[in-house]
Amino acid sequence: MKQVHTNSKSQEGKATTVRKTFSRETSVQTTVMADPSIVWALLTRASDIPRWNSTVTSIKGEIREGNTIELKSILDEKRTFKLKVKEFVPEKRLVWGDSQGSRVYSIEKGAGGGVLFSMTEKIGGPIFPLFAKYIPPFDESFERFAADLKKEAESIQNSKS
Amino acid sequence: MTTDQLTAEFETFQGELKSFILRMTASVQDAEDILQDTYLKAQSKIDTFRGESSLKTWIFSIASNLARDLLRSKKRWPETVTDICREEALHNRQFFQEAMHIRETSPQGKFEIKEHIAFCFTCVSKSLPLEQHLALLLKEVYGFKVTEIAQIMNQTEAMVKYYLHVSRSRMIDIFDHRCSLINKQGICHQCTELNGIFNPKQKAQEELVKIEMARDAENKSKEELFDLRMKILQELDPFESGAAELQLHHLEHNRRVMEKYLEEN
Repeated sequence: MKQVHTNSKSQEGKATTVRKTFSRETSVQTTVMADPSIVWALLTRASDIPRWNSTVTSIKGEIREGNTIELKSILDEKRTFKLKVKEFVPEKRLVWGDSQGSRVYSIEKGAGGGVLFSMTEKIGGPIFPLFAKYIPPFDESFERFAADLKKEAESIQNSKS
Repeated sequence: MTTDQLTAEFETFQGELKSFILRMTASVQDAEDILQDTYLKAQSKIDTFRGESSLKTWIFSIASNLARDLLRSKKRWPETVTDICREEALHNRQFFQEAMHIRETSPQGKFEIKEHIAFCFTCVSKSLPLEQHLALLLKEVYGFKVTEIAQIMNQTEAMVKYYLHVSRSRMIDIFDHRCSLINKQGICHQCTELNGIFNPKQKAQEELVKIEMARDAENKSKEELFDLRMKILQELDPFESGAAELQLHHLEHNRRVMEKYLEEN
């Protein structure tokens, strides 16, 4: 089975993609020096996401387990992704996706009072090879997402009391 | 603490408390009711006050909870509230007749642009989610610290910081797009428009020069302009100002229009 790594090392804020014949998985992780509740609030208050996240142009619906949200991304602004929220564990884990794949956000306690944020999206299936070439790479938008989240969460954490 | 001590201290900030509730609810009746209920509840629970916060923080916490209980089930207003209400007012002859009567006969019937700026904020800020609205008013208008707001809202300091950051960013963005006083491309001119109706002999430009936010609009950042807008609210008591009766009449109009609008939409 063919397997290609576009980035072999998992560096802070750098995306990694693993390509296989029937799937593709992109991940990014970054340390955020902020309270997990701030990171979680930023990830789950849908109407506020386009303000701080330069990769999302619009998002409709409430991010709650079982709900379906409609998301437009810079990857393909003409397309609306209808995504079902599959897991919603406050301040720990959020998963949404459709029939082609799932995106997993996770928040773990990191060293020095911060959190380790990671985001992974796996797409694939039996007919994946037929449409794989039409799906743009996620690496750049993942890196932007992680950088935007880190910047916004740390700015809130460090705001005046 | 005795009831007499509670009453004496309550009186020192009840004006602030009443204006805070008005700015949360946009209703004079609700502000009066919640103010009274807050006092009664404080009186009945005074034995539980341990002095872990100031009495003022504790009382604001009671009032905030009562306001939240009232508002939780109600829809938030749209950020275009002033446009929607303006359209309704234009077709409401009685509204203008009453307003003109107040203007001509009441000692609190003056129209001042800065009073309308505060009124406008009260309406537009009701488009924020409830928790964000509450945190923003407590910090930016009533000067509470994040730790005190966390106590009032029964939230962590981190979440209060989140609410403050997001609500402030949202309001700055709304006013930057809408308010012609701070942005020449702003689509709302309602304060100068109303000034022309209520003060026909006055030149709006001369009035605007007196308002720091409008005078310095081109030289200040959006953040600084928002701070100047908050300064206007901090300095105005919506129940005691020279324009109070006129502005409260207008607020009551907008509240009714919004209730009808939200029922239909």
